[in-house]
Amino acid sequence: MKKFWKLAATAATASLLVAACGSSSDSASDTTVASSDTTASGDGFTLANFTPLEGGTVVDCAPKSGPIKAAWIYVGPINDGGWTQAHHEGLKAVEAALGDKVETTYKENIPEGPQVGTTIDQLVADGNTIIFGTSFGFQDAFAAAADKYPNVCFEFETGYIIKNNMSQAYGAGEDGDYLAGMAAGAATKNGKIGFVAPFAIPEVIRGVNAFALGAKSMNPKATVKVVWTNTWFDPAIERKAADSLISAGVDTIASAQDSPATGEAAKVKGIPWVGYDSDQSANFPDIWLTANTYHWGDYETARVQAALDGKWISGDYYGGLNDGFIKLATFGKIVSEDTKAKIETKKAELSAKSGSQFTGPIKAQDGTVKIEAGKTASHADLMGMDYLVDNVIGELPKG
Amino acid sequence: MKSPLRLERRLTQPRALGWQVPLVSIGGALLLGAVVLLLTGKNPIDVYWRIIQSGFASKTALRGTLVAATPLAFTGMCAAATFRIGIINIGGEGQFFVGAIGAAFVGIAMDGAPTSVILLSMILMGALMGSAYAALVGVLKAKFNTNEIITSLMLNYIAGILLDYLIFGSKSYLRDPRSMGFPTGKPLPKGSWWPTYNIGSAVIPFGFLLAIVIGASILFMYKRTRFGFEASVIADSPAAARYSGMRTRAKIISVMAISGALAGIGGATDVGNFRHVMDAKGLQLAGYGYTGIVVAALARFNPFSAVFVAIIIGGLTNAGYALQGPDFQSGLVGTLQGLILFTAVAGEVLMRYRIRVRNNEKNVAVAS
Repeated sequence: MKKFWKLAATAATASLLVAACGSSSDSASDTTVASSDTTASGDGFTLANFTPLEGGTVVDCAPKSGPIKAAWIYVGPINDGGWTQAHHEGLKAVEAALGDKVETTYKENIPEGPQVGTTIDQLVADGNTIIFGTSFGFQDAFAAAADKYPNVCFEFETGYIIKNNMSQAYGAGEDGDYLAGMAAGAATKNGKIGFVAPFAIPEVIRGVNAFALGAKSMNPKATVKVVWTNTWFDPAIERKAADSLISAGVDTIASAQDSPATGEAAKVKGIPWVGYDSDQSANFPDIWLTANTYHWGDYETARVQAALDGKWISGDYYGGLNDGFIKLATFGKIVSEDTKAKIETKKAELSAKSGSQFTGPIKAQDGTVKIEAGKTASHADLMGMDYLVDNVIGELPKG
Repeated sequence: MKSPLRLERRLTQPRALGWQVPLVSIGGALLLGAVVLLLTGKNPIDVYWRIIQSGFASKTALRGTLVAATPLAFTGMCAAATFRIGIINIGGEGQFFVGAIGAAFVGIAMDGAPTSVILLSMILMGALMGSAYAALVGVLKAKFNTNEIITSLMLNYIAGILLDYLIFGSKSYLRDPRSMGFPTGKPLPKGSWWPTYNIGSAVIPFGFLLAIVIGASILFMYKRTRFGFEASVIADSPAAARYSGMRTRAKIISVMAISGALAGIGGATDVGNFRHVMDAKGLQLAGYGYTGIVVAALARFNPFSAVFVAIIIGGLTNAGYALQGPDFQSGLVGTLQGLILFTAVAGEVLMRYRIRVRNNEKNVAVAS
C-alpha cells in the first residue's frame, strides 16, 4: 500500500506543474525541475529540493503555548519492514531532533476510506496542528480536511493535491534504483536479471527503467525480466513471482515490493538479490547486494520546525541523494570493491544532477528513440514515463 | 476424569434469556478485557470510559460511528437474510464490490440528472448487481447442490480481481483518466453525492436511514409474508417443504438474490454517500463483507437488529482508532475488540444450552 503515495507523488508533481502554469491540458511539457538548489520563499522558509507553492501564504499552525502537537496517520503497522516503518522512523527523527518542543502521536493500520476523515477530526480535536498522511489512498480525505481546517498544516507523503495548507513530499527513487541496478549488472553472470515489480504505473516504470539502465552500464548485455504483481505487499504473490523468474533462468534478482519474499526465494537458490526500502543486509548476508531506501526524518523535522516558527508554507518537496532523502543501503559482502567504487562515482554524479541517468540516446522496447542523444529527460517526462527501455523484457498492460 | 460441568441442551428458551445472555456476555468481555489491560499496565476503567466517549458519547463520535456502521448494517443484513434460513452466504464481500461497481457506473454516467433520480438509480443498480452476483451462487446450489460456502467465497476473490482489473489493469470507464501516477477511480460528480442530514450535532448519512427502512422491510418479509413463512419451513425441513408443494429451489435462488441485493445496496452507499469514487483498494482492505457475518451472528440473524448491532460494532471500530496511539498499540485495540466480539458470539451458546453441575453421588449410584 505504501507505494500508492509514491505513485501519487509522481502524478502529483506532474499535475502540480500543470496547475502552476494554469493550463488544464494533461501533461505539461514544462521543464520545471525540482532540482537540488535551495529554494527560498519570501517568508524565510528554505529547504533544499523544496519548491514553495506559487502564491501560497504562510499558514500559522504554531501552538499558542507549549509544544507543537504533530500526528502521523499510517496505513500499515509501524513494523512492516518497509513503507510505514520508514515513515515511523521519520517520526522518531522528529522527536529526537526537536525534543520537548514537539509532542508526537500516530495512528497505524488506518484503512483507506471514510474512516480517515474521522481520524483526522479526532486528531484535530486533540489539538494536533500538523498532520502527516502517508498513504496515497488518504489523499482525498486529507484534501477535504485541509479545506475544513485552514489553520492546520497538512503534510502528504505522497500524492499530488497541493493546497495552501496541504504540502506534498517525495523523492527521486529512480536515482537509487539506477545505482542498485549497477550492483545487479555487476553481479549477473549470464546477463539475465529478474525484477519483481508492483504496479505498471509511471513511478514504478521509471524505477524499473532506471534499474535496467544501471545494469546495462555495468554489463552491456544485461537484460531485466519484469513480472508485475499488482500488489505492494503480498508475500505469497511476491514469492511466486520471484520463483517464476528464477525458473526462467535469471541468476540475479531484484524487487520493488514491501516484503523480503523475493529475497527468501533468492536465498534458496543462492543468487544475488537487490532489496527495496529496507536494509536487509543482516538477514540475507550471503546474497545481499544493496537497496534503494527512503529517509523522511530530515524533511519532516524541517517542516515541523517551520510550523513551530510560524513559517510553514505549502509546496512540493522532491528529495534526492544530495540531501540524504534517498540512500543506498549497506553493500553486501558479495559486492566487489571495484563495483562499489563505480557506484560511488555515479552516486556523486546523480547527487549533483538528479535524473541525469535518463540521458539519450534511450530507446524503448520497440526500438523507437524516446530520449534523443545528448538530451536529458525533463522532470515531467520522468513523472509520466509510460514505456520500458530496450533491455527490459516484459510487457506493460494494454489499456 | 470427567469435568464437573456439562452443557445440556435447553428444551425451552425462557424469554428473559434474551437480555440476560447478552448482559452476561458483555460483562464477561469487559472482565476479560480488564485482565488484558491490567497485564499491559493500563487502567481498565479509564480505557472503557475512553471507548464510550470516543465511540458513542462525544460530539464527533456519532458521525464517525455511523460512517463505520452503515456498510456493516448492509453486509450484516445480507448475511442475516440467508443464515436465518440455513443458507451460508459468505459472499457479502463480493456482492458489496459489484454493487459499488454498478452504482459508480450509474453515478458517473447520469451526471446532470436530478440528484433524486440518480440516487434511486444507484440504489437499484447496486441492488441489481449484488443480487445477480448472489443469484449465481443460488442457482448453483439449487440446481447442482454445490456448496454455497465455497462458491460464494470464491466469487469474493473474483469480484476483488474485477475491481483491480477495472482500475489497475485496464483503462475502463471507471478509471480516472487523469490518474497518471497511480490509477484511481473516476470521482463521482457532486450531483451524484448522496445527502447527509444534520440533526443537532449529529450527522446522519442517507445510507444509514436507508438501512433502517430496508432492515425493517426484510424483517417484515420474513415474519409476516407467505414468502417468509415458506423460507423458514424450507430452513427447518427441506424435505417437508418439498412434499407440501413448496418450490424450494426457486426459494433458495430468491433468498440469495435478496441477500445479494442488500450487500449491493451497501456497495452503492459506500460509493454514493462516503467515498464518492469506486475505490478498488480501499474496498478490499475494509473487509465489510466478512465483518457483516459477525454483525449478523450478534444480531441472531435478525436483519433489523443487524442495523443496531452495526452501530455498536461501528462505534467500537471508531473508538479503536481514537484509542490507539503511541501509548496504546493498535494490536492491543484489536485484541480488545476481538475479545468483546468473541465473548458476545460465544454467549450465544448459553441461549441454547445450559450449564449443569454434575451430580456425582447419583452417578456413583447408577454405576454400582
